[in-house]
Amino acid sequence: MTEPSRTLDSGRQENLVEVEDLKVYFPIRSGIVIERHVGDVKAVDGVTFEIERGETLGLVGESGCGKTTAGRAVLRLLEPTDGHIRFDGQDISHLSGGDLRRLRRRMQMVFQDPYSSLNPRRNVTSIVQEPLRVHGIAKGAEAEERVQRLLEVVGLPLNAGNRYPHEFSGGQRQRIGLARALALNPDLIVADEPVSALDVSIQAQMINLLEELQDEFDLTYLFIAHDLAVVRHISNRIAVMYLGRIMEIAPSARLYERPLHPYTKALLSAVPIPDPHVESVRERILLTGDLPSPRNPPTGCRFHTRCPFAQRERCPDEVPELRRLDTGHTVACHYVEEIESGRITGRTLDTTDPVSVPG
Amino acid sequence: MSIAEAQAAELSLERPSGLWRDAFDRFRRNPAALVGVSLVLIFTIAAIFAPQIAPHPPNQQVGPLSTNPAGPGGGHVMGLDEQGRDLFSRLLYGARLSLLVGIVSVGIGLAIGLVFGALAGYVGGWVDTVVMRVMDLMLSIPSLLVAIGLVTLLGRGMVQIMFAVGVTTVPIFARLLRGSILGQREADYVLAARSVGVPGRRLLLGHILPNSIAPVIVQATLTMATAIIEVAGLSFLGLGPGDPSLPEWGKIMADNANRLESAAHLVLFPGFAIVLTTIGINLIGDGLREAIDPKLKS
Amino acid sequence: MPLLSVRDLEVRFFTRRATIHAVNGISFDLDAGQTLGIVGESGCGKSVSSLAILGILPKAGRVTGGRVMFGDRDLLTLKDSALREIRGRDIGMVFQDPMTSLNPVLKIGRQITEVLFKHLRMDKHDAIREAIALLERVGIPNASDRLDDYPHQFSGGMRQRVMIAMAIACRPQILIADEPTTALDVTIQAQILDLLKGLVEEEGMGLILITHDLGVVAGVCERTHVMYAGRFVEAAPTDLLYHHPRHPYTLGLLRSVPRLDASQKEKLIPIPGAPPDLTVLGAGCSFAPRCPYATDRSREVTPVLEEIDDPSHLVACWNPVSDADASAVAVPVERGRS
Repeated sequence: MTEPSRTLDSGRQENLVEVEDLKVYFPIRSGIVIERHVGDVKAVDGVTFEIERGETLGLVGESGCGKTTAGRAVLRLLEPTDGHIRFDGQDISHLSGGDLRRLRRRMQMVFQDPYSSLNPRRNVTSIVQEPLRVHGIAKGAEAEERVQRLLEVVGLPLNAGNRYPHEFSGGQRQRIGLARALALNPDLIVADEPVSALDVSIQAQMINLLEELQDEFDLTYLFIAHDLAVVRHISNRIAVMYLGRIMEIAPSARLYERPLHPYTKALLSAVPIPDPHVESVRERILLTGDLPSPRNPPTGCRFHTRCPFAQRERCPDEVPELRRLDTGHTVACHYVEEIESGRITGRTLDTTDPVSVPG
Repeated sequence: MSIAEAQAAELSLERPSGLWRDAFDRFRRNPAALVGVSLVLIFTIAAIFAPQIAPHPPNQQVGPLSTNPAGPGGGHVMGLDEQGRDLFSRLLYGARLSLLVGIVSVGIGLAIGLVFGALAGYVGGWVDTVVMRVMDLMLSIPSLLVAIGLVTLLGRGMVQIMFAVGVTTVPIFARLLRGSILGQREADYVLAARSVGVPGRRLLLGHILPNSIAPVIVQATLTMATAIIEVAGLSFLGLGPGDPSLPEWGKIMADNANRLESAAHLVLFPGFAIVLTTIGINLIGDGLREAIDPKLKS
Repeated sequence: MPLLSVRDLEVRFFTRRATIHAVNGISFDLDAGQTLGIVGESGCGKSVSSLAILGILPKAGRVTGGRVMFGDRDLLTLKDSALREIRGRDIGMVFQDPMTSLNPVLKIGRQITEVLFKHLRMDKHDAIREAIALLERVGIPNASDRLDDYPHQFSGGMRQRVMIAMAIACRPQILIADEPTTALDVTIQAQILDLLKGLVEEEGMGLILITHDLGVVAGVCERTHVMYAGRFVEAAPTDLLYHHPRHPYTLGLLRSVPRLDASQKEKLIPIPGAPPDLTVLGAGCSFAPRCPYATDRSREVTPVLEEIDDPSHLVACWNPVSDADASAVAVPVERGRS
């Protein structure tokens, strides 16, 4: 489905990351003495996207959508059950050993929880220089000097090196994590909910820092989050996931102005906006019911059980393909055109009257 | 970064303190733990300096043979036993045995148990299943019976006894370490280390183990206490060290169990020694747990 | 007469290391049918205030000043036995994490009927019927079957609905919701907030919504108080607050929060520095170290909440921001129609 990545004049691939039909299944085992494989949690169930060099791709979705799993798969912290992952043209889906370790130098991760993502028994210098030592890049005084520079870059006080993680605030710990991620000068950083655990006024500092660093170090970001407003702000393009599948991919501005997938519409309308006037006049699409569990996802289109536009034909039994439209959107929905043209109208699930839902 | 940020950052930093240092400070301030340390210190000094402190050699007859040995008094702080030996001196030398027992048997238990626990917890899979079933098997038999069995098999020397008792503690440590490792294995900082490229062994030794070891340390101190009691118990059952002259506390109690009416001191004093030592060790163990635990949560 | 009238509430936490000045003199009124939002970041004291009102502060916390008038009684002076009557019956509370607020080993039905037995002295039959009605009201399908389920058998959103059902079981006059949707997914959050709004309208309850999310408050509350370091720094009808903020902190918050409908070119302007250390309660404005408008007076004299522009708009600031500064808040981009 993806077009092969074009090689630019410089010889570098245009797409830094290409994910093709990625599946990550976690086996469910049950049994008393011997455990048997009784099923799978299909955390990621056929996901395809590219990340262009230098861009920020936002990956959004609610619980159980698989975005964190997808992020970890891209980093090869997990092995894909099926599908392919290509990094800078190279298929990394099943790399192991030394090759995998060398790959790690080019892709790093920033974690959500500033409290558990740093080894509590090591000091900051030890944490940040470990990547350098593990890959034999620097040690001793040289390593310490590089650590100092990194700490400076992320805005930590100079004497932070001797301190231990628990002596820092959440925002500062995230900075330490960022310094660690930058130590190897990677091409790609996967940021998994990097600001969700931070206070509102600290979030902005962190977001700005991430943006500055992207420019300064020529980084490519995969920005995973559930907070659409944050993702929208920092991303060039956004991919929306639901229950292990991608529903829509589009440039940020366009996704907001004109969401095509019903789930995207609902998601956007649910995000609170800090403006009472806007809140009182905006149209809401309230989804009913809960998010289904990834252990037992609906058949056909994963979203059809809660979709205000779901039709009886195709939706419950046929999985929609991700299609690239002329508008620049990539959408997985059988009836996008009909919904856009108004031929199919949405309805709230507890009345039988069709309700016209604004596009 | 603005001045405000730097200042705010500085405010929160005093002197560098690792988690161990913090734990030590907390331990120091815990009165119960300090009592425990005092008790154990007394016991340890008694053991090490027994030759200097004891008024008499432990096996020398310094009084009359008697079926009704004298209690405290007449130059003998704790009285005499039925062979005319000074009880106090014997108890002091007995402290050495108990100290040795505590350390060696726990040492054996740790050495074997930690390896099993680390294998089970880190490698997982069928290794975990096999190791844990074996541990379960061991735990399902009362440890005293296991010890009795081993001693019967191996003989009644002190070394064999310490080994037997040590073996019974293996499943405890294995399980504990395994659980601890399982808890840490999925932690974000471990994932972070993996994502940085830290290889397996370094991951286990450098990241997971240091963060998993704390409950094991606490357990080790408590197990020392139970080891001492277990050896005393073995002696009591007549399976203690074969050498009748060894002043093992439990053995002294066992030998004189039937003299409770006439020579209670021969039962009570060794009994107190065991109790006080055990309490001391337990207080230290509890103190350690309290000192280490709060940080485990954060 | 307002339903609830809080005056100069002060709460301290006494720990071995230090005393934490969690709440430092807040005052507000809540009328019947009014939705009041208390917004602030973590550590500002908003949750502690609600716990203090209901008398359920953790052990180290103590109310050291103020009055909480509910009707003609000061809740702070009541004995726990009297407070227990009020909690649940007259004032309901919904917490952030339904998993820890619900008893995991009791069936949901039992937990709801317990509330009904205790406060309304209903008999078993009536209580069960009422419990079913309540679950239906909060939007739980198959309510009569679900009475026999345990909390872990519900999803996060459903558990929160159950919490709300319990909180409104006795038709309380006031509902206090402390971060009720923070732990929920955004589409579920929208459902829950919708539910709360609906209930408040139908029952004429007074609602105090405590949250850090400026968007949530904008959608639910008529009036909003902004809290920082244990004090209210600004209080106004929500509309006024968001469109004409006067306190630098409020302005700072509004400018630093990414808005879904903002143009992407808008840069986020973070508030520099970090929240203050609450173990020292100095003189002067607590926000001064981070405030671009601070003057010597700000640092020396603690500002008091005073009217500005409008009797309904209160600000505690010696140098309130002007409309010109405030217009730097992100402007919404109109969503196009297809």
